[in-house]
Amino acid sequence: MMRRNPGFWFALPLIAAMLLFFAAPLVIVVWFSLMPPRSFDLTTDFGLQNYQSAFADGYGPPLMWSLIGATLTTAITAALAWPTAKILHRHAGRWASIVTALIALPIFISESVRLFGLSVFLMPGGGILAGTLKALFDVQIGTILNTRFAALLGMVYIHFPFMLFPMLLGVGMIPADRIEAAQDLGAGRWAILREVELPLAAPGLLVGGLLTFVLCLGANAEAAILGGRAVTVITAAIEQRFNYAQDWPMGAALTVLVILVTAALVFPAVRRIDLNRIIRR
Amino acid sequence: MNSDRILHRMASRNPLRQPMQHSLSRRTFMQALAAGTAAASLPLAAQAQTRPLSLLTWDAYADPRLLALWKEQTGGDIRYEIHISDPSSVNRLRAGETSVWDFVNLNNPWARGELWPAGLIRELPRDRFEPLYAQMKPKFVAPYPWAMSEDGNHLLGIVQRYETFDFVVNSDVISPQLAKDEGWDLFNNPDFTGRYGILAYEDWNVMDICMGAGVHPFKVKTDEEVAKFEETAKRWIQNAKLITTDFVQLNLAILNGEIDLYFTGGTYTTAAARLEGVSNLYAITPNSGPADGKGGINWIEINSAVANPDPLDAAFDFLEFITTPDAAEIVARGNGNFQPVAQMANPELMARFSTEELAAIQWDEFDERVSNAVEFDIVPDYDRLYDIYSAAMRARG
Repeated sequence: MMRRNPGFWFALPLIAAMLLFFAAPLVIVVWFSLMPPRSFDLTTDFGLQNYQSAFADGYGPPLMWSLIGATLTTAITAALAWPTAKILHRHAGRWASIVTALIALPIFISESVRLFGLSVFLMPGGGILAGTLKALFDVQIGTILNTRFAALLGMVYIHFPFMLFPMLLGVGMIPADRIEAAQDLGAGRWAILREVELPLAAPGLLVGGLLTFVLCLGANAEAAILGGRAVTVITAAIEQRFNYAQDWPMGAALTVLVILVTAALVFPAVRRIDLNRIIRR
Repeated sequence: MNSDRILHRMASRNPLRQPMQHSLSRRTFMQALAAGTAAASLPLAAQAQTRPLSLLTWDAYADPRLLALWKEQTGGDIRYEIHISDPSSVNRLRAGETSVWDFVNLNNPWARGELWPAGLIRELPRDRFEPLYAQMKPKFVAPYPWAMSEDGNHLLGIVQRYETFDFVVNSDVISPQLAKDEGWDLFNNPDFTGRYGILAYEDWNVMDICMGAGVHPFKVKTDEEVAKFEETAKRWIQNAKLITTDFVQLNLAILNGEIDLYFTGGTYTTAAARLEGVSNLYAITPNSGPADGKGGINWIEINSAVANPDPLDAAFDFLEFITTPDAAEIVARGNGNFQPVAQMANPELMARFSTEELAAIQWDEFDERVSNAVEFDIVPDYDRLYDIYSAAMRARG
């Protein structure tokens, strides 16, 4: 038996671990989502009331804000990361590694500490920016804190490295001679970007985009720390159900819906990524 | 005012640091797990001694001085994790973490209303613990109902920190006397639209909005009262300048002139800043309100022993230990905050606090504030009201 199909037997411990630690919690979440509201036991009393409430009780706007926030952040970080990646790639080996390290280092610091730092920076009156401008130039400024824009700024700030590093890989996949060839054949800058660079760097762009998008969909701290809850994102709404509402089944139903929405958006993109191609490089 | 000290405090008191606490405690938990596995072959009695006393607690009880004093007196180790909120810790115990924790302290309604009926905490021996109530402020005379089971037969915990928790004003802008007289109507006043913040301790917010709507928070509501609550909740949440779970952000917003007042707040949110000289942060308890004529809400922390299937004697010892003057003093000053404790009835403890410290907790009016407050209780229509509140939050944006 073992000889005929050794791969299966060697994979068995991993399969068991995945079932136990990955599939089982998901099954429990789905099961809870089918339980009566505000109950704490897993029974066979299945029902769909939580899903009905999810559509009827105004959870659309939080989901919409999460999706809008994730889409905008992905677009903005991509627009910022592309030129950054190009510059870093061109100057690789010189100061580029220092810049890369400086961008990477903050990842090792807790997200809420970084956001809190940004909050102190943006604070009016005695904040770092407002206080400095007042002291040095006698300029009085307000603040963008506690607005949706501040929450978005925080999302871009936190998630930029997650876009940049896959993008660096992507940019690295563009052979310089292809660009030279395109130039020799008379292609302009835009044509080279559109016809040569973007298609060749697409895997990196897609990986960065997916990573940023999925992380942003689950982001909560930016709206809480910088946004002053000017928006309620879906993860905050889910947390409320589990926490103060003591309503695990409703929280579970919302979680399942977010997983489904994420899967519907992400799987088509994942299918287009050729990981082998990235690794072969 | 020493603003860099306040910034430093702000950074060190950010309640959103809890994810770090989690990862830390998860690591500690894994270590404990490994140690537990290694100890599995030891006899039962020996195993019990290898486990550190585990506290699921508020930060005052995680003060390193308290842990050091305990170690010095008993030789025992303590590990802890800090609550995110009352209900989230109840969730954790419900989800099976009774086998992880030995000690839990939550606000007064939870012990007799949820923890005891769900079998999550242990009964305390009355002969050992009731005498401790004789050393507390007179309002806590035994049997103190919040520390007892509903049937009055079981002692469920020991009282320590307490206060009334209502709202905070900038006394340079709003005179405390005016704020006490106006009470919750200040937040109904159109002049303060966009000039106040909300500390998102959400169960407290629900009770405060009841007060603002002229509804007794702890009595069953009519449909008309629920409609009043809904109108007030939507208006208050919509008109708030900022909503956060971090009270230091709200204090800073007052200092920076962004807001003039916020709810929910009290000594717990102002004492540390007041002690550093920011005396215009002023905790207000309304002189009157819709709760049997009162407008304040008084919380009392009940310290209990978790119903751990492998119970430690040290859990009871710790409950007794925290009421001793040395430990109670540390708890009152726990982790840089300053909070009244029931044991301040003891002159030996009282003598240890300076005039400045007592001014920081507005001690001269503390008893008056407590007497103008009803005690924190279960809100009978909480689920319905909370759903209205959280829908108003979602509708904010």
